Amino acid sequence: MSTGSTVAVTGLGCLSAAGCTLPECMASLFRGVRDPQPPARFQTAHPVRYPVFEVPDRFLEDAAWRDWDILRTSRLALAAVREALGDAGLARAALRGRRVGVCVGTTVGSAMNNEEFYREYRSGGRPEMAPIERFLRSNPAAVIRRAFDLSGPCQTVVNACSSGADAVGIGRSWIRGGVCDAVLAGGADELCRVTYNGFISLMITSEVPCMPFDRDRRGLNLGEGAAMLLLEPEDAVRARGGRVRARVLGFGMACDAHHVTAPHPEGVGLRRAIGVALRMSAAERGEIAFVNAHGTGTPDNDRVESRALSDLLPGIPFLSTKGYTGHTLGAAGAIEAAFTIACLEEGRIPASAGFSVPDPDLPAHPVAAATAVRGRLALSQSLAFGGNNSVLVFGKA
Amino acid sequence: MRIAIEGVGVVGGFGSGLQALADSLARGPAAADVASVPAEGETLSVRSMRAVSRGLEDFVERRTLRRVDHFSRLALLAACLALREAGPQPPDPKTLGVVVATGYGASRATFGFLESFVADGDALASPTHFSTSVHNAAAANIAIILGAQGPNLTVSQFEMSVASALHSARLMLLEGQAETILFGGVDESCDVLQYCRHRFFGAEDGEVMRPLDFERQTAITGEGAAFFLLRRAAEGAPSSCWIEEVALGNLADGPPRIPEDALVILGADGNRACSRHYARALRDARPVLAFSHHYGSFPTAQAMDLAVASLLLRGVVAAVAPADEDSGLIREAACCLKMDGKGDYGLVTLRRS
Amino acid sequence: MTLKDTLKHMLVENLNLEDLTPEAIADDAPLFGEGLGLDSLDAVELVVLIQKHFGIEIRDMEEGRTAFQSVNALAAFLESRHRP
Repeated sequence: MSTGSTVAVTGLGCLSAAGCTLPECMASLFRGVRDPQPPARFQTAHPVRYPVFEVPDRFLEDAAWRDWDILRTSRLALAAVREALGDAGLARAALRGRRVGVCVGTTVGSAMNNEEFYREYRSGGRPEMAPIERFLRSNPAAVIRRAFDLSGPCQTVVNACSSGADAVGIGRSWIRGGVCDAVLAGGADELCRVTYNGFISLMITSEVPCMPFDRDRRGLNLGEGAAMLLLEPEDAVRARGGRVRARVLGFGMACDAHHVTAPHPEGVGLRRAIGVALRMSAAERGEIAFVNAHGTGTPDNDRVESRALSDLLPGIPFLSTKGYTGHTLGAAGAIEAAFTIACLEEGRIPASAGFSVPDPDLPAHPVAAATAVRGRLALSQSLAFGGNNSVLVFGKA
Repeated sequence: MRIAIEGVGVVGGFGSGLQALADSLARGPAAADVASVPAEGETLSVRSMRAVSRGLEDFVERRTLRRVDHFSRLALLAACLALREAGPQPPDPKTLGVVVATGYGASRATFGFLESFVADGDALASPTHFSTSVHNAAAANIAIILGAQGPNLTVSQFEMSVASALHSARLMLLEGQAETILFGGVDESCDVLQYCRHRFFGAEDGEVMRPLDFERQTAITGEGAAFFLLRRAAEGAPSSCWIEEVALGNLADGPPRIPEDALVILGADGNRACSRHYARALRDARPVLAFSHHYGSFPTAQAMDLAVASLLLRGVVAAVAPADEDSGLIREAACCLKMDGKGDYGLVTLRRS
Repeated sequence: MTLKDTLKHMLVENLNLEDLTPEAIADDAPLFGEGLGLDSLDAVELVVLIQKHFGIEIRDMEEGRTAFQSVNALAAFLESRHRP
C-alpha cells in the first residue's frame, strides 16, 4: 500500500505578525523587524500588559470568505491555503477529480471557550446561540475542505504546541501511504483572551518582547497566524509541470511522558524524536544547514533544547523565529516549517530575534545575526504541553 | 501486516469494563438518569447517561490522580482496562504510542477555567484548570502514567474524530512509528453542553433513545471512553479481531463501500440532522444495528460502537438490537458507520481472525 | 484558626491533597520535592491562591521559591508583606 514516493512541498502560504504572506514574513525576518504590542483586539485586567504578536486585519481584505460566520482561526487557515495554492500554480478547478486531503493543527480553533456566552449563561441569562453555532461550523480542517470543495481525508490535530508540525508529518504519511493525491497540511491559531489569561496564569509569559535562548529571557509572548504546505508525490509534480520547493524527508514524534506542562529536564522525548527524524531521512549530520528550534523564550524550554542540540547536533547553527512571530501555538510548527523551507531556498537564516547575551548555563547559542548556511537539509522542531516532541526534516529541492 | 486489536476497555453510562457493556447489551439499557442543570435562573431537568471512573484506583495510585480530572480519568480507566484485557505481558512503553479522539475535549475543565477568571478577575485565572483544559490532556496523562514514549496524538473533529484518529493510528503502526498504540475515544458531558443541547432540541423525548428511528430527535447526552490496544501483527498471529479498513469521505462523492459479509452497526444516536443521512449512505436494504442507546449521544461514541463490534465478532454477545433479524449470527466482519449532519462519514471495518 | 492552620487548609482543599489532613502537615515540612511533593504547576496555582485569599501578589517565581519552602516560610512571607 505504501507508494514510497518522495514527498514534495509545492506550495506555501504563511501569515503571522511578520506578514500576511510568506515573502512578507521573510522580508521582516531578514530586516530583523519585530513589534509586539499589548493586545489590540481585547482588553484584560492584568496589571501588566504582556505583549503579543497580532496578524494585521488586512489579511481579510479581498477574502472570498470575509463574510462567513466562522472563527478567526479558520479565516487565517483559509488565507494560508489560498496563498499555498496560488504558489503551487493550482487553480481550484485543477483540484477537482484529485483526492486532496487536509490536515490542520490548532488549539484555540477547537476550543469551545466563548467567554461572552459563558458569562451570560452563568449569570442566569439566556445567551444567543450564535457563538456556539459559529464554533460548531469552524473546525479548521472541515472548513478548508468545504471552502475548496476537496474530497480527500480531513483531520484536525489538537496536540497543543506541536500540532502544526504533527499535521505536516501526518500529511507526509498520507502521501507516502497513497491515501490521497495531495495534502494541504499546516496549522492555524488566533489570539484569544482566554488563552492569554491561561498562559499568564502559568507565569511563563514575558512582560517584554521575548528573548529566546538569551541569558535574561523571562518567558514567551503569544502570537497568532497560520501556515499551509501543499504536499504532493514528487513524480506527480513533474507530470503536471509543477515545481518542487522542498522535500519532507523525515518526521519524528516522541513523548516525554513526564509532566503536563513542563518539558522533561533531559529532553528525553526531543532527543528520540530528533533521532527518529534523522534516521528516516537518512541524514548525515554534515548535511544539516540549520535547525529552527522551538525556542519559546521560557527558561525551561530553551535550556532543554540547547542541551539537546549541543549533544546531538553540535556546531550546527540554530535559531528561534518566535522572536518575530510570538508563540503561535497550533500554527507554530507549520509557520516554522514554512520559514525553514524559505531559508533553505535562500541559503541563509535570519538572526534569532531577542538573543543578544549568551546564557552561561546553556551549552549552545543561536545565531545573533543573519547567517549564510550550507547544507541540503534543515530541521524544524516543536515541543508541546503534554510532552509531545515533533521534529521535521526538510531537504532542498 | 494487520492491525490487531489485543485488548478493549470501556467506561460509560452502563458501567465500566466489557462485561458491564455486554450485560447492558443482553438485558437492554437502563433508563437515563435525570440531572439538574442550572440555567436561566432556574434548574433544568435533563436526561443524561453519566459515567464514573470507579475502579481506576485498582490501576493507579490515588496520589498520582490528584490533578487528573474526570475527562482524563475516563480515558485512563478505559486505557488501563484495555491493557488488562490484552493479557499479562504489558507492551514496551518505549514504543507505545497514544492516540486519542475527542469531540469536545475536557469541557468541564474548559468551563472551569473560564469560571476561575470570570468569577474572580483575570489575575485569578487558575493555571491548573488551564493546563487540564487542553484537548490533549487525556493523551498526555495516559502517557505520563503509563510511561508511553511513542508518538502522542489527539484529534478533534466532532463526529468524525474517531475514524480520523484511528486512520492515523493505523498508519503509525504500519509505518513502524510505534510497536503498539493505545487508541481511544473520550468525551465528557457538562452543564454547558447539556444546556446547549436543550436550547437546540428542547426536552429529551423519553428515557431511552431510539437510534434507528431516524425521523425522531431522541438523543440523550452521554459520556464515556472506549480504548483499544492496537498492535501491528503478522497475518495469522492470534488476536480476536483486526482493523481491516478506515475510510473517511462525504456522501457527495459517493456512498461508503461496505463489504457484503459485514454486520452493519450505525452510529445513529437520535440526532435527526445526522440520522437522515444513514438511509442515503446504505445502498441496499440490509439489516442494520445501533447501540448508542446503551451509552448515549456524544461525538466519539463511535469508539463504543467499535467495542460492541469487537464483542459481536468474538461471539461474546449475540447480535441483539431492535428489529434485528440476524440474532445469534456470528459474522466474519463488522462495519461501524458514523455520519454527521453534513453527509461526512467515517467507516471502520473490523474482521474476525 | 491561626495563619498556619489556614494555609494548611488552603493547601489541602485547593491542591486536591485528598490523602492528607491539614493537621498532618508539619509546619516545617518541605512543600516541594519531598515532603508534600508539590511541583511547578502547584507553585503557580499557589501564587493565585495567595492572591485570592490574602490579596498579596507574587510577581515572579524567584520570590515564590523562598516563600514556598514550607508552611513556616509561607506564613513568614505573608506576615512580612502585611507590615505597614
